[in-house]
Amino acid sequence: MINKTSLSPFFWIIIIAVISLPFITSSSYILMVMIFVAIYGTLAIGMGILLEHAGIFSLAHPTWFGLGAYVAGILSTRQIVSPLVGIIVGAVFVALISYLIGAPILRLRGYYLACATFALLLIVEMSLGQLGSITGGHEGLTGIPPLSVVGFIFRTDTQYYFLSWALCLGCLWFLSNLLNSRVGRAIRSFRDSEVASMSMGIDIPKYKLQIFVLTSVMASIAGSIFSFYIRFTMPGMFGFPLLVELLTMIVIGGGKTLYGALLGSFVTVWLRELIHLYLGKILPVMKAEVDAIFFGILIILILIFMPHGISGGVERLFYSWSKTFDRLQRAEK
Amino acid sequence: MIASKEQKSRTVHFVRSQPTIPSFFEVAGLCKNFGGIQALNSVTLCIEEGKIISLIGPNGAGKTTFINVVTGIFPPDKGEIYFQGENIAGLSPHLIASKGIGRTFQFEELFSSMSVLENVMVGCHARTRSGILGCGFQISSVRKEEKRIRDEAMEDLRLIGLEKKSLYPISALPLGERKLVGIARALAMKPKFLLLDEPVGGLAAHEIEKLVNLLFMLLEKGLTLLIVEHNMPFVMAISHRVIVLDGGAKIAEGFPDEVKSNEKVIEAYLGKEVS
Repeated sequence: MINKTSLSPFFWIIIIAVISLPFITSSSYILMVMIFVAIYGTLAIGMGILLEHAGIFSLAHPTWFGLGAYVAGILSTRQIVSPLVGIIVGAVFVALISYLIGAPILRLRGYYLACATFALLLIVEMSLGQLGSITGGHEGLTGIPPLSVVGFIFRTDTQYYFLSWALCLGCLWFLSNLLNSRVGRAIRSFRDSEVASMSMGIDIPKYKLQIFVLTSVMASIAGSIFSFYIRFTMPGMFGFPLLVELLTMIVIGGGKTLYGALLGSFVTVWLRELIHLYLGKILPVMKAEVDAIFFGILIILILIFMPHGISGGVERLFYSWSKTFDRLQRAEK
Repeated sequence: MIASKEQKSRTVHFVRSQPTIPSFFEVAGLCKNFGGIQALNSVTLCIEEGKIISLIGPNGAGKTTFINVVTGIFPPDKGEIYFQGENIAGLSPHLIASKGIGRTFQFEELFSSMSVLENVMVGCHARTRSGILGCGFQISSVRKEEKRIRDEAMEDLRLIGLEKKSLYPISALPLGERKLVGIARALAMKPKFLLLDEPVGGLAAHEIEKLVNLLFMLLEKGLTLLIVEHNMPFVMAISHRVIVLDGGAKIAEGFPDEVKSNEKVIEAYLGKEVS
């Protein structure tokens, strides 16, 4: 009875919270973490749509993120084009590559698709490291200029904060519209029953490819903004660790709803920061691994007690509350 | 009109190009093998517009395979399928569906993550045109189209009497109602030809009665129905003509009463008499 993909009340709450945060605090540390929440949130939302709604088990999402970061970064560092054009070129490049790669490999299903996209992830990560003359190699690409849009240069954390959240909420708005429309229903239908979906006149390969390319482009734009914000990219940032992190976000937040993935990003990023902030001093030796232990335990707990993530758990809680409430009301009558 | 299995497609075309009206739906020499099993063995049949035709046969006779081949889920190994004068054999399922052939499933195959209304709205897919970017940005033509198909889907739900449960998740409906949702979803495609795979399987008596009324109403609307069914009283009551399959081949065809007394049919269902 609850329309799972609608998010209007949540959406407004998020918008108000996002806009008011810089007025509440001017701590650049909080803004920085929130920028990461927005960027990773954009990725997690896109990947969540692929995994949970479209049933496309693609693990190549960090690759599109990385390619977007590198293309925009390289083009603007060498002053070939302006940063804004760099973002657009990156998005077009990623759209092209994901189209050419997606057309054949999206015919694979389940684990086979996961294997193929995982191979793609590793290949791109290696290539970025090996193509030293273009990408700066394993040491990374340094000296990326800040983003400038027709003379306006993004310098402060607040500016990047609004930019990254505009992207994140824009994608959230776009995808939630999409899921409740003709194309979105087509995309959701083939995960439930491919045979029925085909018989309703839905061209499954076409829509699989469309949603794959669309979410790749979103990841690419997020990557470009990311590279302009931290002014530095490294192949290792777009490899297996990021993939695990995105999957963690989707599992923790719950991919059934769009805001679940964003919530997952928020929880994951902040939890990591808090662990490093407070437990880093207690457990200095294990600094790098200590969050992995926490996340491992957290994922196990979430999978046991909230199989649909925090958002799914909260929804179920509301649902049971409203049921009890109904029963009480009826009893009063 | 019915081409025999030896005739090539060319001959069928020749027959068809005669000034007679091309038949509504025609299958010629349809074969389908799964490994060594011959699921369909040169089935040839012809269906007139505006009739209810039943396809019966014992388990494993190839009835569901027939529907799957006609709707393109499995490509046929051999043979032609003509729908309104056009050969649709070997086309992808979504193209066949958009030509006006709707179907329901033996085992529901509803979209379990969606509400009842959304399921029916998916049925409107082939008749609508919104693209992915238009849908994401909610441009006004998309919103108009969305409103139109929502109304149309509600209309189809009203037809099956489930308009009050339009926002229920599929899992909250009993089996009988789910079967009806499957029919409403197929109706939302506005098909000319509707294939129903065991529509009364698992329904209670009063639900069957409701279904019979619904099917006659569809017939009045000008639909042509092909029903695959096991329930003999239902088949005998509703069909204009009955086609019997056994072992992948057509063994009999005719009016319900004729078929009922056909020796081959009795043999197929009950086995040979020991002499």
